[in-house]
Amino acid sequence: MTRPRQIVAFGGGGFSMEAGNPLLDDYVLGLAAAAGRDRPKVCFLPTASGDADHYIVRFYRHFPASRCEPSHVSLFRRDCGTDDVRSHLLEQDLVYVGGGSVICLMGVLRAHGLDVALREAWEAGVVLCGLSAGSLCWFAEAMTGYHGNSRPVEGIGLLKSSNAVHYDKEAHRRPAYHAAIGGGMPGGYAAEDGAALHFVGDELARVVSSRPASRAFSVDKVAGEVVETPLVTHYLGAAAAEPALAA
Amino acid sequence: MGGGGFTMEPDNPALDDYVRTLSPAREPRICLLPTAGGDSEDQIRRFHMAFSGKLCEPTHLSLFRLGQHPVPLRDHLLAQDIIYVGGGSMINLLALWRAHGLDDILREAWQAGIVLAGLSAGSMCWFEWGVTKSAGTPMPARGLGFLPGSNSVHYDGEPERRPVFLSAVANGAIPPGWAVDDGAGLLFRGTRLAEVVASRPAARAYRVLSMAGEAVEEALEPRLLKAPAHADPTAPLAVEEMRALYAARRGQRRLD
Repeated sequence: MTRPRQIVAFGGGGFSMEAGNPLLDDYVLGLAAAAGRDRPKVCFLPTASGDADHYIVRFYRHFPASRCEPSHVSLFRRDCGTDDVRSHLLEQDLVYVGGGSVICLMGVLRAHGLDVALREAWEAGVVLCGLSAGSLCWFAEAMTGYHGNSRPVEGIGLLKSSNAVHYDKEAHRRPAYHAAIGGGMPGGYAAEDGAALHFVGDELARVVSSRPASRAFSVDKVAGEVVETPLVTHYLGAAAAEPALAA
Repeated sequence: MGGGGFTMEPDNPALDDYVRTLSPAREPRICLLPTAGGDSEDQIRRFHMAFSGKLCEPTHLSLFRLGQHPVPLRDHLLAQDIIYVGGGSMINLLALWRAHGLDDILREAWQAGIVLAGLSAGSMCWFEWGVTKSAGTPMPARGLGFLPGSNSVHYDGEPERRPVFLSAVANGAIPPGWAVDDGAGLLFRGTRLAEVVASRPAARAYRVLSMAGEAVEEALEPRLLKAPAHADPTAPLAVEEMRALYAARRGQRRLD
């Protein structure tokens, strides 16, 4: 059975930002487990943070061995060759890319050939996910916060569209994203903290959220005008009683 | 520096003091680029601990945190007297600098007379080639090439680099260059080697040449820098030493 290509791009959220709210992390773990394993293999890439120790520790806390087979790859402290990292990524059910600087993330991924390895993993049906920089990297172009302004950065380009994250948090991102798309950047998707875009193959299949109010938008240039359309969002905590919300 | 300075010899500031005095400024502005270590908080903290009590104006520049702490890169770096590059992954260092345009800014800084210093990856980056362990096993990697030739570091501390360096120089894969032990440093004025210094009596540097397909090492005798008073082994345990000890016990990594 061939597994579909899947990417879940969080505008923000998961264990990095919502310590008391596991809804988005549970959602991606569920997708990984659906591949047939009860303890899915989950690999964390903390590259965008510079492989910050405290971040790696938090990953292992939130992805315990009781629920999955967790691992991480540090590109600042590599002790094996690229082929080994590549085969490790291909063996996973889920690759989770942490937040930080997308410019740094892309620079380091490319230097180690992991842009290619991640594409292979995606094509082999390994679920790819991440927040913030770990969302932006999957798209053709991304808006990054930089010097208080936003500017476009080229991602790995598994998805042909563009992406903006933390769309609710930082006021400069919306006008910057609209201006970039007006200026010729491919249209795409903007997600607020707590909202996640779930792509199956090349298409957006579903928008899910860990908070009732989190939204996502499609932003496109239509007849010379930039048009932003809210997307139907499925709140993952609807069945649960009062999910804990964290900052 | 083949290795040494505040990250590797916290109790022996001889090399760091030497770097500090290369600038004619009485209180030089010295900026740490901790890029190769992923802007590790530990490296940044130790830099400020080492330099904040000295006659200088220490700052650091974190490329990973530019989103939260924006810094005009070119303006900040060109305003320095000394730029000090920390150790870590040489491949990541160059990729991150290129992604931010720091390769061009650093060349400008060098041409403007700003002292460029660093250890390990922060040493090899200035040459045409280095021998990196960024991908696990040692292998040659391209640097910025401000200085002609190649450089291999931790020559005594990490002997696995030596055969890779020697065979790459012997077969012409990389140009001849310099191998440097932990605790030794090379001073280049322009692109010429002006002085070899050391913070420890046993530290050496070598000129490595290729002769008839064989690599030849010529030992260079360093000038031993004056050991500062508090490096006396009979002196009571310093706070930094104690912290380093605790850090070692916690299993903290050694900077590469």
